[in-house]
Amino acid sequence: MLSDFRTLLTEVTQAILPIVLLILILHAFLPGVSAHTVLLFIAGSIMVILGMTLFLMGVKIGLLPMGEAIGSEIPKSGSIILIIITGFLFGFLATVAEPDVRVLADMIQTVSEDGILKTQLILVIAVGVGFFVATSVLRIIYNVPIAYLFAAGYLAIIGLSLISPSNYVPIAFDAGGVTTGPITVPFILALGIGVTSILGGRSALSDGFGLIGLASIGPIIGVLLMGVIFV
Amino acid sequence: MIYIPIADGIDHVILDVIQALLPLVVFFLIAQLVSLKLPGQYILNLFKGLFITLIGMVLFFQGVKIAFLPAGQSIGAYCGTLEHIWILIPFGFLLGFLTTFAEPAVRVLCYQVETSSNGYIKGTLILYALSIGVATSVSLGMVRILYGFPFLPFIIGGYLLALILIQFTDHDFIGIAFDSGGVATGPMAVTFLMAFAVGVADSIGGRDPFLDGFGMIAFIALTPILTILILGIIFKMKKTGELS
Repeated sequence: MLSDFRTLLTEVTQAILPIVLLILILHAFLPGVSAHTVLLFIAGSIMVILGMTLFLMGVKIGLLPMGEAIGSEIPKSGSIILIIITGFLFGFLATVAEPDVRVLADMIQTVSEDGILKTQLILVIAVGVGFFVATSVLRIIYNVPIAYLFAAGYLAIIGLSLISPSNYVPIAFDAGGVTTGPITVPFILALGIGVTSILGGRSALSDGFGLIGLASIGPIIGVLLMGVIFV
Repeated sequence: MIYIPIADGIDHVILDVIQALLPLVVFFLIAQLVSLKLPGQYILNLFKGLFITLIGMVLFFQGVKIAFLPAGQSIGAYCGTLEHIWILIPFGFLLGFLTTFAEPAVRVLCYQVETSSNGYIKGTLILYALSIGVATSVSLGMVRILYGFPFLPFIIGGYLLALILIQFTDHDFIGIAFDSGGVATGPMAVTFLMAFAVGVADSIGGRDPFLDGFGMIAFIALTPILTILILGIIFKMKKTGELS
């Protein structure tokens, strides 16, 4: 584990150092920079490097095997209803817990004039994610080409964005990206790969991936729909 | 002795990370009790991993908050006052490119692609394609702040282009491409790059910093999809080239 840590630490340091150095150099030009600011930046950068290293190490021994274990268990149950419920609940719960979603909900509240309730908004986004996680697990099981789902999803988004009020549109697209944070991403990725691993005749690449992309469609449609309905 | 407030507000960060982890753990425990029934030692190891993830994520978020958020704001505000303002377009490209390397979920995606393909698709290749995508977005975001162009036609055009590219790309890349859009908009993009964009828009004036920042994140979710799909087309062309 310790040698793992060292290898990862070197790798992560090499990856993050360029941006850290660039920002440090820029500090020479910025007005009103004190030694204090620079020290704080250096301290924070060390935390980022250490944090990323530990995160990646932990993900490999924790979240990834956990997600794969659940993923390979889902198709075994044989009950479609159970699969749909599991997929939905999982997407729903993970979204409600994502800190970025709450930040986004706050921002949307300030844009909307009619005072949409924050909880209402979080629910819409979470239902959107839950719906699409369930759909994508079903897609893998029934072997529906993923391109169809993306095409249908984004065509619906394009249509809705033309009739939704213009200040909702950028936020809706933002909602799609924000809902999948660094903690849910490894888990959902592993879930998809786990489901594919247990079914015959599926490719880990073309069938296992895409869950995060599909999960991003839900919130976009959800927020756009809210714009259409509430304004 | 200078006091450096590295732990300010860390309690909120810890709570946020625990809250994000909690549903996954509960979900897993239910699955474990109902049907997985994995051995106790194995479960213990998984929880060791979760604990390391927790510590790592807290350090990472806190580090981004105390270092990269203020840096993004002040660099953005300074750049907005530059004489040759067009310099922001290549500079945004550079910033976008480099920050993607520091995005945790991006790393995980690249690692998973390399493992799942047994090394056939190199993780670094996905990383570079993704970085170029994000870099292009930040450049576009700067163009939008400086010269202003309508958001919607661009986004709609971009997604239509993605749907067209799907027809020509290697099938293995479709899922990965759309996943990339989700992972690229991680904590680094949302805090550092957005703070930078808002800083620029603020100091230039006459723009709505809030909406411009939003627009850029939407671009960041779109462009990696396009670059990875294009990478898939290149892969496919190579494959057919080798066959004939």
